Amino acid sequence: MSAVAGFLRSRLWLVTLSALMALFVVNWILQPNLVTPNVLKSNLSVFLPVILVAIGQTYVVLGGDIDLSVGSIVALVNVVTVSVIAALGGGAGGVLGGIAAGLVVGIACGLLNGALVALLRFQAIVTTFATGIIFGGLALMVLPTAGLPVPAEYWRTYGSSPLGLPVVLWVLIAALVIVAVIAGRPFIKHLAAAGGQRAAAFQTGLKLAQIRILAYALCGLFAAFASLCLTGETASGDPLMGRTLALASISAVVLGGTALAGGSGSAFGSVLGALVLGMIGNVIFFAGLPFDYQTLIQGLITLLALAGGVLVARRN
Amino acid sequence: MPPVLEATGIAKHFGAVVALSNGSLSVGKGEVHALLGANGSGKSTLCKIIAGTVARDTGSLRLDGSEVSLRTPREAEARGIALFYQELSLVPQLSVADNIFLGHERTGAGGFLDARQLRADTDRLIARFASVAGTGFTADAPVSGLAPDQRQIVEILKVLARKPRLIIFDEATAALDRRQVELFFAILRELKAEGVSTIFISHRMDEIFEIADRITVMRNGATVASFASSETDRDAVVRSMVGDVGIRDRVERAVPPSSGAPRLKLKGASSRRVRDVSLTLRPGEILGLGGLQGQGQSALLQGLFGALPFASGTLEIDGRPVSIRKPADAVRTGLAYVSGDRGRDAALHGRSIFENIGSATMVREKLALVWPRHLRPRFEAAAAALNTKYAGMEAPIGSLSGGNQQKIFIARWLATDAPVLLLDDPTKGIDLAAKADFFALVRNLADKGTSIIFYASEDAELLSLCDRILVFNSGAVSAELAGASLDSFHLTNAAYGEVA
Repeated sequence: MSAVAGFLRSRLWLVTLSALMALFVVNWILQPNLVTPNVLKSNLSVFLPVILVAIGQTYVVLGGDIDLSVGSIVALVNVVTVSVIAALGGGAGGVLGGIAAGLVVGIACGLLNGALVALLRFQAIVTTFATGIIFGGLALMVLPTAGLPVPAEYWRTYGSSPLGLPVVLWVLIAALVIVAVIAGRPFIKHLAAAGGQRAAAFQTGLKLAQIRILAYALCGLFAAFASLCLTGETASGDPLMGRTLALASISAVVLGGTALAGGSGSAFGSVLGALVLGMIGNVIFFAGLPFDYQTLIQGLITLLALAGGVLVARRN
Repeated sequence: MPPVLEATGIAKHFGAVVALSNGSLSVGKGEVHALLGANGSGKSTLCKIIAGTVARDTGSLRLDGSEVSLRTPREAEARGIALFYQELSLVPQLSVADNIFLGHERTGAGGFLDARQLRADTDRLIARFASVAGTGFTADAPVSGLAPDQRQIVEILKVLARKPRLIIFDEATAALDRRQVELFFAILRELKAEGVSTIFISHRMDEIFEIADRITVMRNGATVASFASSETDRDAVVRSMVGDVGIRDRVERAVPPSSGAPRLKLKGASSRRVRDVSLTLRPGEILGLGGLQGQGQSALLQGLFGALPFASGTLEIDGRPVSIRKPADAVRTGLAYVSGDRGRDAALHGRSIFENIGSATMVREKLALVWPRHLRPRFEAAAAALNTKYAGMEAPIGSLSGGNQQKIFIARWLATDAPVLLLDDPTKGIDLAAKADFFALVRNLADKGTSIIFYASEDAELLSLCDRILVFNSGAVSAELAGASLDSFHLTNAAYGEVA
C-alpha cells in the first residue's frame, strides 16, 4: 500500500489522466459524434483558456504562492488588445501591435504581483485578490462596456487551420513546448525549492525574490495567451471577460496533482486537470443535467483532489 | 605559510544584545578545529560571520593571509567556505540529487538540465562516501522519504559537492548514532588528507578529543583559549569554558523539599525527541533540566503536558497512573505549563487579562460557555501574588509589558492551584527585575508544596534555583546533579558528556 502511495505521490497526474480517460469514454457514449475533427476542435477552443491560465498558475503555486488576479489580467489584456488594434486602425499591423501590447500588459501585471509578494513580502492571497480588483477596474476604465469588435483578420486566423491543424491545437502545442522548455531548466528546481522549503532554498543561496517574480511573470504571460485566445473566440472586447478563470485555474492545478502548499507538481498535470474540469462540464451537459450542477460537481471534485493529496502525503 | 582562516577581534551586536565581543579563530590547512562554548557564548555567530550569513560589525577576516569581506553566503562560497546547517537546509519535495546540486545544477546545451550528468555526479559522490552514505538511498529518492540520519548525510554530501576548502560543521553529528559518527569521522580524515580544513562544533566532548587537532573555547562572546588537543585534557577545556567565577551560586531553599512519596513519577518516556527518560518529582521540589539547548528538555515538558505526547512510557501522579494525550488532559490532571515563547504558546491575543488568566481554570474545572464572574477575586489574587502591574482585568493582554504578560500566564496557572508546574525556559526575553520577581515566586510556590520542573537555557538560572538537575544530551538524561555536584563545572562537564 505504501509503495503504491509513494509511487502515486510523485505521479499524481496519473490519477488525473485515468479520470480524464474515464470522463472521455463517458462523454463519447453520451455524445457519439465527439471524436470528429469539428467537435474536438470546438471542445479544445472552449477548454484552451482554462488550460493556459492553469499552466501559468502552476508556476506560482509551485513556488508556494497563489495568483487570484489571473481572471482580471485576462480581462485587462483583452480590452488593451482590442483598444490598441482599434487605435492602430486594424489591419495585420494593428493586430500584431495589439497582441504585443496584450502580452506586455500580461507580463507587467505578473511582475507587479511578483514584486508586491516577493519584494515587499505581502501575503500572496490577499495581494493578488487586491490587484485583481485593480486590474479589473483598469479594464473597465480602458473599455467601459463590452463591444469594440476586432478585425476579421484576427478571428478568421484564429479559426483557421494552417498545415492541416487548427490554430487552437497549434496554440496548445506551443504552450506545451514552452512548458517542456521550462521543465528542463534549473529554474523549475529552484521554484520547487522556493515553494517546498523556503528557508532551505534561502540558505542554499537561491535568489528567492527573482524566482518568485519570474513565476508571477510567467503566470501573467500565460493569462495573456488565454486572453488572446478568448478574444479570438468572442471577436470583441469585454471588460468582464474571464471572471471565473482564477478559481477554475486553481481547481485545475489542484486536480493536476500540484500541492497548494507548493514544492511539488507540474504544469502538464494542470493541463490534464483543466481538461478534466472541461470534460465534467461536457458530461453534465450531455447527460441532460441542469447547468447549475456543473459548478457543484467541479467544486466537489476539487475538494476530493485536495483530500486525496493530503491523504497520500500523510501516508508517507 | 599563513593559516587558511584567521579571524581576529570579530564583534557583532543584534540591537542591544552583544552576541560577539571579541571572537578570534585561526585554522590551518587540513586542520580539524573544534569550537567550544556554552549556550550563547558566540560560537554560532562567529561561524555565521565566517560563512557570510551574518555581517560583522568590526574585526578582521583573513583567508590565506589576505583580508576578505565575506558579506554574503555567495561571497563566502566563492571563496571555498561552506557551512553545514544544523537546521536542515534540504527541500523534502526534491530528490537527493536535486538537493545536493540545488543552485549548482549542471546544464548542457541551451541551458537545459543535464539529468544524466546530475545522476552520475550524485552517484559518484554517494559511492565515494559509500561507507557513510551506505546503500540506504539512491540519487532519485525524494528526501521526504529519508530518515533523519540519512537526511543529515545528504546534507553533508551537499556541502562536499561544493568542493570547499574550509567546511564549518555546526553539530553535524547530532542526529547520527555512534557507528555513523565513526563513518563521518572517516570522511573528515579523508578531507583532511586532501588538505580541506574543518571547523567542528559538537556537544560531545569525547568526539572532540577523538577528531580535533586544535580546540578553541569561547565564553560570553569572546575567545578565551586555544589548545592543541594533544596537549590538553577534558578538565582543562571545561574549566576554560566555565571560567573562574561563579562556580557555585546556589541560593539555599527556606523550606527543603519533602522527602515523602513522589508527586510525579515518569518511567521510560520516549518520543521523537526524547529517549527513555525516567524521573521522580517530590512535593515542593524544584527539578532542573539542564544541558545544551535543544537536547530534549522542552520536548520532555511538552510531552508531560500532552502537547507532544510520548510514544511510550508510564506516568504516575500521587501514585495513580494517568494518561495524558492532549493538553486538556494535563490541565485536568493538575499540571500547569508556562513557556518562554509567550506569543506562540500562551497569549490569547486581543483578549482581556481576565480571559487570559481564566482560560486554564475553565478547562480544569470544566466550565463552559459562561465567563465565571465569581472567579474574579481568585484571578485578582493570583495576579496580585505576582506583583503584576495592570490597569484592570478588562484591559487587553497586549497592553502589558513582556514581563507582566509572563506573570499573567503564570497567574493563569496559579488560579488553577495546579500541584505540578512545568516551566519551559520561562524567562526568555524578560528583563532582569522581572526575572528576580519570577524566581522569588517560583521558590515561594515550591516552599508551599508545589512541585516544579524547570528548564532554562541559562545555566546560572538552574544552579541558583534547583534542588536537583537532570542533564540532557541527545534526548536522554546523561547525568543527575545534586548536593555538592550542583555547580557549573559539573553541569558543563555533564552537558558535553557522552550518553551513559
